[in-house]
Amino acid sequence: MTIFIQFVWLGGLLVEGVILVRSIQGKSFAKYSLFYVYIASVLVKSMFLYVVSIARPSLNVTVYWPAQFITLSLGCGVIFEISRHVFAQHVSLDRFARWTMLTTFGLIFVLVAIHAFLLPRWNLAANTADLERDLRIAQAIVLMTILFLTGYYGIEIGKNIRGMILGFGVYVGASVLSLTIRLLVGPRFSSAWQVIQSSAYFVALSIWAVALWSYEAEPAAGPPSISGGEYQILAGRTQRVLGWINEHLDRTAPR
Amino acid sequence: MIQLVFSLLVGLALLVVLYFFARRGKVSAEGSAQQLREARQTLDSLQFGLLPNDLVHRIFAREDLRYVRSAAPPQVESLFLAERRAISLAWVRRVRGAILDLMRFHRGHARLYAQLSLSTEILLAFNFAVLLMVCRLLQIALYLRGPYAAPGMVRTVAAAASRVCLISEKSLVFLKVNQMDTLKNDPSHHGASV
Repeated sequence: MTIFIQFVWLGGLLVEGVILVRSIQGKSFAKYSLFYVYIASVLVKSMFLYVVSIARPSLNVTVYWPAQFITLSLGCGVIFEISRHVFAQHVSLDRFARWTMLTTFGLIFVLVAIHAFLLPRWNLAANTADLERDLRIAQAIVLMTILFLTGYYGIEIGKNIRGMILGFGVYVGASVLSLTIRLLVGPRFSSAWQVIQSSAYFVALSIWAVALWSYEAEPAAGPPSISGGEYQILAGRTQRVLGWINEHLDRTAPR
Repeated sequence: MIQLVFSLLVGLALLVVLYFFARRGKVSAEGSAQQLREARQTLDSLQFGLLPNDLVHRIFAREDLRYVRSAAPPQVESLFLAERRAISLAWVRRVRGAILDLMRFHRGHARLYAQLSLSTEILLAFNFAVLLMVCRLLQIALYLRGPYAAPGMVRTVAAAASRVCLISEKSLVFLKVNQMDTLKNDPSHHGASV
């Protein structure tokens, strides 16, 4: 199992390198800067942990969770990146997605702050696994909100962002499930958890490598956003029609 | 324990949503010129091809049932009722289709507005869902009790469907950006004109 994890880990480093090189070659680094900063941070973290595991293996556990917390926080930037591009031409939906992100991520960080200040025995290093699960849940909720909005309003998503969503979603989903089962089962599940985490991340990296191989601009949404009171008129009209239909259908119920 | 169950549910839900997202085909740009043209064609075929009063009256006429009862054996009557039930079910499907069209128009255009109201959108989504459910219930009722179970149903449903088509058509005109200024200056087109 250790050999498998090592293999996946090294393979992951290689794919991360390829993604970053392609981003520079294809001039897409600036387009998806938050995403590539996240990939670079994971690459640096992985190499750092690899060096630590060889030079000072006893420190491995101590440095793992703080390093994980940093990449975890940067992972929120990936969600922001996705939302920014998906709703680039939909002002209201972008506002709503940002509001959801701020609320969910903000809530998690406020809870951490409250725990840190009010509970003297609570410390971040000892509770990072819990925090990671909570943040992954927040990321999952925001991601689902974005996917629901794109599905409901029929928003087209380009190849790059589609891959970003799929890859990140697979990793977040697997993380939420494996972290929860780990908390439920206990240390017995740790080795399986490592395999699931590493494999899910490798799958995510593979999806990103394929989807982000070359830059592809997001599809145009059609006419530009219209501001003003027209929306209220449109919504009012739709509401009124619904009322009429409802009234008629009430009257037509079989007697 | 509740927290753990919630976490598991969120994880599973995300993977399910991703599965459907991955399977989702290329979304056609709602609100595009082609989409609007297709929508108009659909509405025209409903309004002028399927919903005229005389056609509806002909399909659901009680005289036909009376005639069949008086002139034909019971086997023919049951065959007649089965066919009329199929037609009435198709009728409700049309109403449902019109509501879905209206919903599609609204969603396709509302997303482009800068001042979209979240509460209004949630309310509308809820109302659409309720209406679609009512249509389903009507379909069940017709299926179980037959086409003549609800006196007056045909006229009122036809009226509702016609109105939906009419309003959707007006929405299509209204949503043309180049006509908005005209509408703004015309008091008859302000909200209540539907």
